[in-house]
Amino acid sequence: MNTQAELKKHHQLIKKIRRFFDNQGLIEVQTRHLLDYPTTDVYIDSIKTQVNKAFKPELKYLHTSPELEMKKLLANGSGDIYQICQVFRDNEQGQHNFNEFMILEYYRLGFNIHALMDDITNLLKTLGFNQPTTRLSYAQAFKKFAHIDILNTDFDKLKKIAKSHDLYADFEWIEDLQILLFTDLCEPKLKTLPLCFIYDYPKNQSALANTQGQIAHRFEMYLWGIEVANGYEELQHANDYQNCFKHDIDKRATLGKPLVEMDKDFLSVLQKPLPQCSGVAVGIERLALNLLK
Amino acid sequence: MANYSTSQFKNGLKLMLGGNPCSIISNEIRKPGKGQASNRVKLKDLITGKILDKTFKSGESLEGADVMELDLQYIYNDGNTWNFMDPNSFEQYAIDDATIGDARGYLVEQDMCVVTLWNNNPIAVAPPNHVVLEVVDTDPGLKGDSASTGGKPATMNTGIVVQVPLFINIGDKIRVDTRTNEYTSRA
Repeated sequence: MNTQAELKKHHQLIKKIRRFFDNQGLIEVQTRHLLDYPTTDVYIDSIKTQVNKAFKPELKYLHTSPELEMKKLLANGSGDIYQICQVFRDNEQGQHNFNEFMILEYYRLGFNIHALMDDITNLLKTLGFNQPTTRLSYAQAFKKFAHIDILNTDFDKLKKIAKSHDLYADFEWIEDLQILLFTDLCEPKLKTLPLCFIYDYPKNQSALANTQGQIAHRFEMYLWGIEVANGYEELQHANDYQNCFKHDIDKRATLGKPLVEMDKDFLSVLQKPLPQCSGVAVGIERLALNLLK
Repeated sequence: MANYSTSQFKNGLKLMLGGNPCSIISNEIRKPGKGQASNRVKLKDLITGKILDKTFKSGESLEGADVMELDLQYIYNDGNTWNFMDPNSFEQYAIDDATIGDARGYLVEQDMCVVTLWNNNPIAVAPPNHVVLEVVDTDPGLKGDSASTGGKPATMNTGIVVQVPLFINIGDKIRVDTRTNEYTSRA
């Protein structure tokens, strides 16, 4: 159990975060945690549960992120919004991963990812963080830490590089190999950096972010080498989302993972496109642990 | 030998890597917000003693290494090999100079050592943490000096040199910490 001092500290942190957003006029929202559809994300599994067993059994899924529900609000004209909530994920493993954790998720209209990175940096400052900030594009990080031209190295060449580092290389998708190489060659170097943003990911790691040429407008934020936040310049149109969901569902099938359906309600709400905006999810526990190291 | 998947990795597990048997020292699972999990593993190469940092894709599997650790008694050196005996089975193992390595300075007849076997061949010998050695050469001792400042080098009966207090003389038996090569007390 937490001590009273720990509870107070956490309370203060949450209050400061709320004040930061309230002062800028964002609306705090609460979206449903119990959903009709599981996530399609290839490497995230929803926790499913059966409800109404007594009269009309139905499967529901705990949300793994409030993203799609918040995007429905954005498409409906909510304007800038934020949410602080618990999220739930199955099959999580690792020293920093749990089945339940707290997320801060927020969206800013008209922001690109650089404006959003500026905004989070300001948030961290109001929370007491005053260390230097580093920003590296994904390509710069690979060049600097691994001497690899990641955007212009094809799959076969990348497999050879992986083998030369004694790494598993028998991947079916280039993005999985890129991620393994990043974990092995780049991420350990981020441990000495207090705050580091890695941005502009290769297009095939776009997730739900806008792409431009070879790159996707996405960033990840690391505190002392620990991944704390994930931000996107958001896709706006239903058909773009549908393509992403389909790609993920096909990939899940190939990997032998449980089959999932895409969220049709979301796609129908998005017939009215999302306004141009950027959004980010921040792991609150990881933030609290690594902010004032 | 069986294969082990990353989900079975734990400290002390022995695996084959680059043709050498290795032992897992630490295993950290890294699951990115987007993308598949991987295991960042620190291993010790049991042949070279080198520490390796490796990243494995989660689900990848590696061949286990047939490595055993035995408590064996050091019995004698015949000029070519160092000979050990299993006090339970009386089975003997002859180990060459290269495998003995730095342990040679701490091998005392009758002492129990931990011998690592790979495919039944000795690959490493760990002496006890403390051994009793005899001083065969050192500068004359200073009367009245207790374990105070400074010290002097002393050569042991096994050939190694240990820093000892000034009052230690030739013929004295001393206790040495084999992990740090430091004098701990008079024996």
